[in-house]
Amino acid sequence: VARLIRTEKEVEGRFEEVWLVVEEDALEQWPQGPRDVVGRPAARVDGLARARGEALFTADIRLPGMLHAAVLRSPHPRATATRIDLSAALEAPGVRAAIGPGDSPALTAEPGYEGQPVAAVCADTLEAARAAIALIDVEWNVLEPLLDPDEAVARGSLFDTRHSDRGDVERGLAEADVVVEATYRTQVVLHNSMETHQSVCRWVGGELEVHISTQYVWGVRNELARGLGMDPDRIRVVCEYMGGGFGSKNGPDDHTFVGAELARRSGRPVRTALTRGEEHVAAGNRAATIQRLVAGARSDGTLTALRGEFVNAVGAAGWNTFTEGPMQTLYACPNVRTTTHGARLNLPPMKAFRAPGFVEGTFGLECLLDELAARLDLDPLELRRRNHADVEPVEGRSYSGKNLLECYRRAEPHWGRRHEVRARSTATVKRGVGMASQVWWGGGGPPSYAWVRVGSDGHVTVVTATQDVGTGTKTALSQIAAEELRLPLEHVTFAVGDTSRGPYSTLSAGSSTLPSMGPAVRAAAADARRQILELAAQRYGDDAGELSPGQLEEVLALLGNGQILGTGARGPNPAGMQVLTFGVQVAEVAVDVETGEVTVERVAAIHDVGRVVNPLGASSQVEGGIIQGIGHTLSEERLVDPVTGAILTRSLDAYRMPTIADVPEIVSELVDVPDEHLTNLGSKGIGEPPIIPVAAAIANAIRDATGADVRSLPISRAEMLAALSAARNSRLEEPARA
Amino acid sequence: VKAAIVTPASLEGIPADSVLLAGGTEVVPQLREGLLDADTLVDVSALVPRGIAGTCIGAGTTLAELEASDAVPDALREACRLASSPQLRVMGTVGGNLLQSTRCWYWRLGYDCRLRGGDRCHAREGEHREHAIFANELCASAHPSDVAAALVALGARVRTSRRELAVAELYRLPTAGDPRTVALEPGEVLLELDVKPPDASAYLKAMDRKRFGFPLVGVAAVRRGEAITVALAGVAPVPWLLDGGFDAATPLPGTRWKVAVAEALVARALASIRPA
Repeated sequence: VARLIRTEKEVEGRFEEVWLVVEEDALEQWPQGPRDVVGRPAARVDGLARARGEALFTADIRLPGMLHAAVLRSPHPRATATRIDLSAALEAPGVRAAIGPGDSPALTAEPGYEGQPVAAVCADTLEAARAAIALIDVEWNVLEPLLDPDEAVARGSLFDTRHSDRGDVERGLAEADVVVEATYRTQVVLHNSMETHQSVCRWVGGELEVHISTQYVWGVRNELARGLGMDPDRIRVVCEYMGGGFGSKNGPDDHTFVGAELARRSGRPVRTALTRGEEHVAAGNRAATIQRLVAGARSDGTLTALRGEFVNAVGAAGWNTFTEGPMQTLYACPNVRTTTHGARLNLPPMKAFRAPGFVEGTFGLECLLDELAARLDLDPLELRRRNHADVEPVEGRSYSGKNLLECYRRAEPHWGRRHEVRARSTATVKRGVGMASQVWWGGGGPPSYAWVRVGSDGHVTVVTATQDVGTGTKTALSQIAAEELRLPLEHVTFAVGDTSRGPYSTLSAGSSTLPSMGPAVRAAAADARRQILELAAQRYGDDAGELSPGQLEEVLALLGNGQILGTGARGPNPAGMQVLTFGVQVAEVAVDVETGEVTVERVAAIHDVGRVVNPLGASSQVEGGIIQGIGHTLSEERLVDPVTGAILTRSLDAYRMPTIADVPEIVSELVDVPDEHLTNLGSKGIGEPPIIPVAAAIANAIRDATGADVRSLPISRAEMLAALSAARNSRLEEPARA
Repeated sequence: VKAAIVTPASLEGIPADSVLLAGGTEVVPQLREGLLDADTLVDVSALVPRGIAGTCIGAGTTLAELEASDAVPDALREACRLASSPQLRVMGTVGGNLLQSTRCWYWRLGYDCRLRGGDRCHAREGEHREHAIFANELCASAHPSDVAAALVALGARVRTSRRELAVAELYRLPTAGDPRTVALEPGEVLLELDVKPPDASAYLKAMDRKRFGFPLVGVAAVRRGEAITVALAGVAPVPWLLDGGFDAATPLPGTRWKVAVAEALVARALASIRPA
């Protein structure tokens, strides 16, 4: 039965109060532990299709008569185009249409970052389109760019500033036996999805068909409808296979608006695909942060105060992420004050990137905690246990499920290795172990729907317009359908990624696909099973007992061309409770103190995300998160010319992602206890949690190994050598001070 | 980018301004990025000697072949092994590797810098954390070839289609009037290297990831009897023969760290080639 509720909806740490139509979630959770299919490792159901190249990604879409678009991007971070002449481009060979500012909401004559779209053309070939772009004549009035986040705060160039106060921080600091204070900095990093941002737009009559590499087919449809002034039902959005997004592909983006307009003008399908170089300037990034943090504690380690002033270097567009989130929510500290500025700069826009804000904020907070532990001469794991939050500290709500103490308990054997690890140090290579905790959302929510179709051959098709962004969504959801229907996994086919063929699903961001869609798929499968059992009762009598596999086959065979259609919806989240994920990671590093080389040798990750549906898929997510986190910690950085604001790292040569040789031994352990208050499944998402504690765990291991405080990412050789030198100098000064 | 590929029967009569193609791992990306302009590429891979015979190495020999050969001195073999990725080493030739351009991001993005005859070094004034610590007054670009540093340290000689010279003499520091870093004449083609075996040699390299990175600092050290030669990659606009110590270094504010790394790697390389 559908019902209307007023509830809080969270995506990537942003909350809004909304009215939601929800259906009751009447199913009991399965008992804890592996079942026939759910809870057992399953290879990707589409793995062979991907390996054989049969899977069609947006990059593979070639529609009849398709044209190629190229985009003229601003060469200046801040400028005004006083004249834009498209005529030479329009007359160039093969060109079918050209547009400029005013022709599409995505084009501007007043760019606010280098790379912002100004004009676009479509032509028979990509070469012709690119050649035509060079013929567009623009007269620029170049303006001074604003590049420094602190200066933006001083000048009031801000998206917004958030203040939060809990308890009395001044009193908390006065009560502290020890106060530590430090400034942490994190850099801009790029998502670098294997498939660049791209779409193919085609008009069919008055309807728009969009093939797009996206994390949210419904969001693309709704945003295009708003931007183009269209009825959403006249837009169809398709994404069957998707080559990565990490938060950067939640909407249609400029390239799709450009493609839609060029397709309308030319009357032909238009493909608009970013090159790798364009991807590095105009596809979004994780914003840089500056975090000025203070912590006070009693000598027994009890936190008395936390204070943070955060600057998010948002860029020309984007939002002020919840970088203060870990400081506010990870520990039971009575006095917490945070201020968070979102700086507006003439730099490319930020976009959500795998746990936005929390990756950055956890680096600062969890390094600060270890600096505190060192001052108190306390074991860092013990310090974290002593400040465990038994209830959610911001509003005092209870947790729907929290097993962080169990994560700590399971971390002990890994943490206990540190004496042996340190003992393997040499004169030049110092080894150490560090840890960091993790808190994040990941509970998903309504609305999300699924349909389950069962045919007489005993094969099942699950239909839902969600998308598999490469995380194994199709596989895990197929496992849930197979489990509920008591059928083998091979009997389940999963159809995704088409707004005209399946019901609404949430976006694949915020670690929400499985916890949102899983319960809906189970409900739909249960609805189908109920109908099958009703038929069986009529065939075998009400008291026939449990249906045998043979009877199931026989009943379904009776259907002939008939089909059973089950429908299901995601029920509401538990009222008044906080649904969160938790975890801890323990990293082992080796630091060459002469050359500044840092090697991550081992990372043990223990996370609490409720019931694990596919242990194999989940460990893949943990490994991917840690590897991406190692890039963030050690080698990746988007570089900008400090004077002009021009982007310098526009290739995978200049921008350094980790290689397989940088990957350490990864031990992935999941607590795997269903969240008893959360849906018929008890599962939360695992996409984001594993990247959150990586940087802090590595930095803390470096401190353990060398005594050096690294407070700025990435920990390049220059950064590492500077930190070592600072540590040496402070050790030299110490006796004088005493 | 479209360019015709021609495969002439001999090196005679190739137009002097031709863009030569061997492995293509440097020429093709430069064409694609618009840094090189050519309607025609001259494929010389069948005309340049390939393979190792005694102390003689064909300029068309791939890095993968050198890396796998016991006949090659340690410093050169190790420089090949630590260069680039396995896929690129299978394609890239030693001759092409010696002639590759800098990875300076300003140069690679087409800035009109001193290396292109312009009047500014954007790196000196801007982002230069990976740039040169020697001979960087005019242009702060860093030479990216591990192999070149190894060959310079080994005192290797090169035979071209016109003459024979030391590998070190292939290179010249850019000057205000002439920004070239390679002293080849138009139409001159590298053919063969002669690498006399040393008593001991080593190559050590600092990257900012474990593999598939150009040298932040590369150190080649070679010993013949009592005589030691050290050459560095990634520290100057050309492969750098270390004559004396690092007192002559002129690091920029963002490249001081390189001096410490280079000193440490030189000390380790020397220790590893010391007589037993």
